[in-house]
Amino acid sequence: MRPPTIKDHDVRLYSTEVLERVWLTDRVFEIRLSKPSTFKFMAGQRIRLLHRAIRRDYSLITAPSDPTLALCLKKIESGEYSPILASAKPGTQLSFTGPLGYFTYRPSGRPTVFVATGTGIAPFLSMVRTGITGFTLLHGVHRATNLYYRDIFSRAARLYIPCLAAEAEETEDRESVFRGRVSHYLAEHLPSGNYDFYVCGRQEMIRDVTLMVDARFPSSLLYTEVFY
Amino acid sequence: MKIYTGSGDRGKTSLLSGERVSKADLRVEAYGDVDELNSILGGVVAALPPTEAELAKEIQKIQSVLLHIGACLAVTPGSPVSEELEEITKEHSKALEGAIDRIDGSLPPLKEFILPGGHISAAWAHLARAVCRRAERHVVNLSAIQTGTVGSEQLRHVIVYLNRLSDYLFVLARLCNKIQGLSDTMWKR
Repeated sequence: MRPPTIKDHDVRLYSTEVLERVWLTDRVFEIRLSKPSTFKFMAGQRIRLLHRAIRRDYSLITAPSDPTLALCLKKIESGEYSPILASAKPGTQLSFTGPLGYFTYRPSGRPTVFVATGTGIAPFLSMVRTGITGFTLLHGVHRATNLYYRDIFSRAARLYIPCLAAEAEETEDRESVFRGRVSHYLAEHLPSGNYDFYVCGRQEMIRDVTLMVDARFPSSLLYTEVFY
Repeated sequence: MKIYTGSGDRGKTSLLSGERVSKADLRVEAYGDVDELNSILGGVVAALPPTEAELAKEIQKIQSVLLHIGACLAVTPGSPVSEELEEITKEHSKALEGAIDRIDGSLPPLKEFILPGGHISAAWAHLARAVCRRAERHVVNLSAIQTGTVGSEQLRHVIVYLNRLSDYLFVLARLCNKIQGLSDTMWKR
């Protein structure tokens, strides 16, 4: 029997309930939601939360086999949806459509490089929770406290490179942290070769990484997911 | 939300299957034509009178199939991504054949060449037909370089669909004129 693919799961409207919220930093939190019994997805896919006229897409961070759903997001004070989720009490009812997107892991003979900035790490967390290992991960953050899933990725990755903004304060473990942007790491440190790049984060980062892939790794594959 | 990223400023684009290719790549030419065709069909729908809601729905269904075709063309053969896409089958072409027969049966028989034009909706449909033929030519080129490889059967179905769609767009153009009470303009040699 072939493994399920994206087209096996119909995009439909679902109801869910807020179960729990855990703050990872002063601005980033995980929100756990009940999982509708008929909802199925592939690791790396998104759901679209609906609230009145607002629609926001968020990548799931749980594995498809997990009994609940969870998201990781940053509270944007001026944002439309994240403040609602940041204060939603357990029991709050929400609607969503999904699953959405094609940002799923496709094994090949080439080495895999995951590249994320900030909460763009979310889809990779779901992938790792399905048992994917042996990849290189670059996670760009402004502060060392934003490396919230460091333990999980350190265990699963072949090489885990936190990329800390050059202007960030010194950390204790300066040996294991790259000081600079993820695109700088790709420019200066990743050996030449053909890779499968999976890139998730803000579009400015995706542009910089794309241009770097064109320049240094032109025969590689590049899959991207933009976070707005 | 910004629409532009700037990652294509140096003449390259990403296929759905992950490859970075030239924007002049044959595959990009082909799905670009399909995108152009789809946009023109939007013009046809916009120019239909409100009384033609059913016809508009039929055309929008075709637009949806064209999005699937665009995705199929944006994937290199053998990529695992192709497993994730909706397949184009002969059922899609058969649905068009049914629509062609229905529309053609409602039109006066044609004995001469006609000039593309008439009502604006008909003019859009004729333009769509010509772009559809160009899309078909590019997909035929594409299929010539991937004969015998994985995915060639899918391209064969796409070629059949585009061939049938051109015929549909011809009768649709004539129907658009009929809806407006206009006759087709015959070619005077």
